Amino acid sequence: MTTKQVMLSEAEQARIRSELADAYDFDPRDPLFGLNRQALSGSRLERRTVLRLLAASGLLTAGHLIGVPRPAVAQGKAGGTLKCGWAAVGEIATLDPAQINQVLQFQIASNVLSGLTHINAELVAEGDLAESWEVSDDGTEYTFKLREGVVFHNGDPFTADDVLFTYQRSSDPAKSIHSAVLANVASVEKVEDHTVHFKLKAPQASFLPKVLERASGRAMTIVSRGALEKMGESEYGLKPVGTGPFKVTEHQLGQTVVLERNPDYYDKDRPKLDKVIIQPIIDAEPLAAAIEAGDIQLIGGNPIAPELVDRFVANPDLVVDETPGPTFQAVWINPWHEHMKVTDFNKPVEELMKEKGFMVRLAIAKALDREAYIKQGQFGRGMPAFGTVNPAMGRYFDPDLAKASTQTFDLAKAKQLMADAGYPDGQGFPKLRLLTTPSNRRETQVVGNQLKQHLNINVEIETKDFPVLIEDFDTMNWDLVRLGSGGDYDPDDALVDWMQTNSKFNGRRRDKAKYAFGFFSDKEVDQLISDQSATADIDKRRQMVTKANKITSDKVASAFLFHQPDILVHHKTVAFPKESRIPGLVDLDRVTLA
Amino acid sequence: MTRYLIRRAIGAVIVMWAVATLVFFMLRIVPGDPIGAMLFDAGDAAAVEALRHKLGLDAPIYVQYVKWFWLVFQGDLGNSIYGSNMPVSKAIIEALPRTLSLAGLGFIIALVIAVPAGLIAATRRNTMLDNVVSFWAFLGLSMPEFWFGILLIIVFAAGLKWLPAIGYVPLSDGFWPWVSHLILPAIAVGTTFSAIIARNIRSGMLEVLKTDYIRVARAKGLTTSAVILRHAFPNALIPVITVAGIAFALLMANAVVVENVFSIKGLGRLLINSILNRDYPTVQGAVLVVSAIFVLSNLVVDVLYTMIDPRIRYDK
Repeated sequence: MTTKQVMLSEAEQARIRSELADAYDFDPRDPLFGLNRQALSGSRLERRTVLRLLAASGLLTAGHLIGVPRPAVAQGKAGGTLKCGWAAVGEIATLDPAQINQVLQFQIASNVLSGLTHINAELVAEGDLAESWEVSDDGTEYTFKLREGVVFHNGDPFTADDVLFTYQRSSDPAKSIHSAVLANVASVEKVEDHTVHFKLKAPQASFLPKVLERASGRAMTIVSRGALEKMGESEYGLKPVGTGPFKVTEHQLGQTVVLERNPDYYDKDRPKLDKVIIQPIIDAEPLAAAIEAGDIQLIGGNPIAPELVDRFVANPDLVVDETPGPTFQAVWINPWHEHMKVTDFNKPVEELMKEKGFMVRLAIAKALDREAYIKQGQFGRGMPAFGTVNPAMGRYFDPDLAKASTQTFDLAKAKQLMADAGYPDGQGFPKLRLLTTPSNRRETQVVGNQLKQHLNINVEIETKDFPVLIEDFDTMNWDLVRLGSGGDYDPDDALVDWMQTNSKFNGRRRDKAKYAFGFFSDKEVDQLISDQSATADIDKRRQMVTKANKITSDKVASAFLFHQPDILVHHKTVAFPKESRIPGLVDLDRVTLA
Repeated sequence: MTRYLIRRAIGAVIVMWAVATLVFFMLRIVPGDPIGAMLFDAGDAAAVEALRHKLGLDAPIYVQYVKWFWLVFQGDLGNSIYGSNMPVSKAIIEALPRTLSLAGLGFIIALVIAVPAGLIAATRRNTMLDNVVSFWAFLGLSMPEFWFGILLIIVFAAGLKWLPAIGYVPLSDGFWPWVSHLILPAIAVGTTFSAIIARNIRSGMLEVLKTDYIRVARAKGLTTSAVILRHAFPNALIPVITVAGIAFALLMANAVVVENVFSIKGLGRLLINSILNRDYPTVQGAVLVVSAIFVLSNLVVDVLYTMIDPRIRYDK
C-alpha cells in the first residue's frame, strides 16, 4: 500500500473490538436502544452511551474509535492570540447556521454558537446549553433543564423562548436549509423559563448526538432572536450573536474574521485564548509560506493541498494529525456517449458485459491504477476507492470491495475489453473530453495520462469554473468528469445523494425527453437504498448498504478513484487537546498557546 | 478648462453606462448559473425556482436590466446574491482602500525604480549600465506577477521572515502594520510597471537629447545634471505620462492576480470571487467602479499634460 495508515497496537484493536461489540449490542425494536432511562438522562452522556446512540443511528465511524497517536505538545497558559488560516477558500460566505452548507463554515460557527448538547473527541456528549435532561420510557419525549444565567453576546438572557424561536426558524424551509433534520420532531413546548419539552414522532437514536448537537446538525444551533431582528439576516450571517465561548467582533468578508473571548461564557475555565484571527487563504503556496513563517499557527477550512503535507510532516515546528476522511472522488463516465452507451442498467452484470458500451466503461474503470494515481496525483495521501461509501463510515465501509469489484485494476483485462468492444489498442476510439475544475487540473492530468498509456484513449482535459462545471454535469453535457463528494458521514450521504435514479446529483437538469436517467439508474439499487435508509437494524442496514455499494461498483455507476484523508496542521506551540479533536471540527475553546 | 471638464464628465458617464450595459448582458450569456452554484448541495427544483423568484432572476432580462439601472441611478448597487447577501456598495467600500493602497504603493515603487533607471539608461546609452536596465525591463515585463509574488513570499516571508506573507491591515491600525503587509505585493505589481515606464523614459530622453535646445543648453555651459533634469526630463515626460496613465489601469489588472496570491480582498479578488459565484449584482457594481477608475485616471493624465506643458490648452 502506498497509502499511509494509522498503526494500532494489539490492545487498541481489542479495545475497539469490544467497544464496537457493545455499541451494537441491543435489540433494534427497543425504543431506548438497550439503554435505560438513567443512562440516557442526566447532565452528560457517557462514552458508552454515545457510542450506542451513534451506532443505533448508523453514525458510528472508525474515526470515532481510533485514538490517534499524537506527538507531545507543550501545555500552554491561558491568554494570547491564535492566528489561523482557512485553506482553499476566498471568503467565509456565511456563519448563520440556517444557511451554513460547508464544513469550513461550521468549524467557525461551533466556536461562536451553542447547541443543547456537544460531543467531544472522547465521545462524551456534554450538556451545552442543556444542564440535564430526561427521557420517557417509550423514547419519544425529552425534557431538558436549561442552564440558567447564560447570556448572549449582546447581553440578552438565554431562555426556553430562544429554543422555541430557533426551532421555528429552523423547521421553516423558507428560512433554513436544514429543516429536514427536524422532520421527526412533533412539537416543542416551553414548560418553564428554563425547561423545554420535545415530542418526537418516533424514537430516534440520532436525536441527542446529531439533531441537538451544536455543530453537526446546524438545525438546533441556538440563534439570538433579538440580534437577528436588530441586525437583519445579512449582517447576522457575518457576525452571528450566540452564547458560545467566542464572539465575532469583526468580520471583513474575504479578509478576516476576528473572534474574541466571551468573558460571560457559562464555563469560567473556557475559553483559554483571548483572541482568534481567521484569514481565508486561496492559494496553496502562500498558505504554506504563512504557516512556515509563523504568520498563522493553525490551518482549518478545506482539505490541505496534498503536495504540502509531506513538507509539513518534515517541518519540526509543525504537528500534522491525519485521520480517515468522509469523502469519495470519482471519474464519471457518460452512459449517453455514443461509444460508452448503456441505456439500461437493469440487467445482470454478465448481460451488461455483452454490450460494447459497457465494455468500454468497465475498461476505463479497470485501467485506473489507483495506487499510482494516489502517489502521483495526491502525493501518497488517500486510499483507493471502489464505491461511494467511505472508510470514515466505519462499519458500513466494505474493505473487501477493493478486491471483489469488477473495477479492480487489471490492465490485461482492460485492454482485452477494449479489443472486444471493437477498439483494439484504442484504434477507432474517439478523443474524450475530461472536465475538471482549474484547481484539480494537475491530478486530473494523471487520470488522462493513465487512460492514454493504458488504453491508448486520447483525453483532452478541459477546465471549467465550478458553477459552469456543475451546470454541465447537471445537464449531462460531458464525456468524462472528475468530481466527488466530501463531508459524507452517513451512508445516506453517499447513496441517497448520489446513487439513486432521483439522486440530487444524478443529471438533475438533463433533457428528460432525450435522457431517461442521468449517469446511472438501477431499480434494485434504488430499492436497496430506500430500504437501508429506513432500516434501524444495523446488521441488516449494513448488508443493504454493502450490497447497493457493490452493485454500483460492479455496474460502473462511475469509475471510483480515491478517498481523501482528514488532516489537521498546527504549530508545536499550539496545544490542541485530544478532547477537542472532533473529526471535521476545529473547536478552539480548550486550545492554548505555549 | 471648466467646460472641458464638464464635457469629459459627460463622456465618462456615457462610457461607464456602455461598460455596465455590456457587462450586464455578457454575464447572462456566459454559461453557469448563480442558483446552481448556491444550491449545489441542497434544494430541489421547487427550492431553486423559489430562490430564482426571490432574487428576481425569473423576470425577462430587459426587466432585470431596467430595474438594476433604476436602482443604480438612485445610488443603490443592490445586494450580493451569494452567501451573506451583503450590500454591494459595502463590499466595494471595504475592498477599494485595499486595492488603492496596493496600486498606490506599487505606483510609487515603480516610479522610484523607473525614473533613475530610465535616466541612467538614456544618458549612459550602450554602456553596461544601459544593458543592465534593459535586461531588468525585459525581465520585469516577462515575469508573471503571481509567480514573482510567490517567489517574494518564499524568500522574504517564509525564508528570511522579514515581512508577513499574507493579509492586509488597514492604515488605521498603524503605519508599519499597514505598509509591512503591502511591501511584497506592491513590489510584485510595481515591478512590471517599472519596466514599462523605464523603457519609455529611456526612449523619450533619447529623443529629447538629440534636439537643438539641448545642444544650446550644453553650449551655454550648463552642468550635465541641469541639462538632464531641468531641460530634458520634463520634455520627455509627456509620452511617459500617457503610458503611466494606461499602465495605472493595467496595474489594477495586475492587482487582481496579486491580491489572490497575498490574500488581500481587494476589488480584484471581489471581482473574481463574484464572477466565479455568478454573483451578478456584485460583478456589475465592481465593474462600474473599475471603469470609473479607468476613466478618472485618463482624465488625470489629460489634465497633467497642461500642467507639464503649458502649450497644451483644451479650451479653444
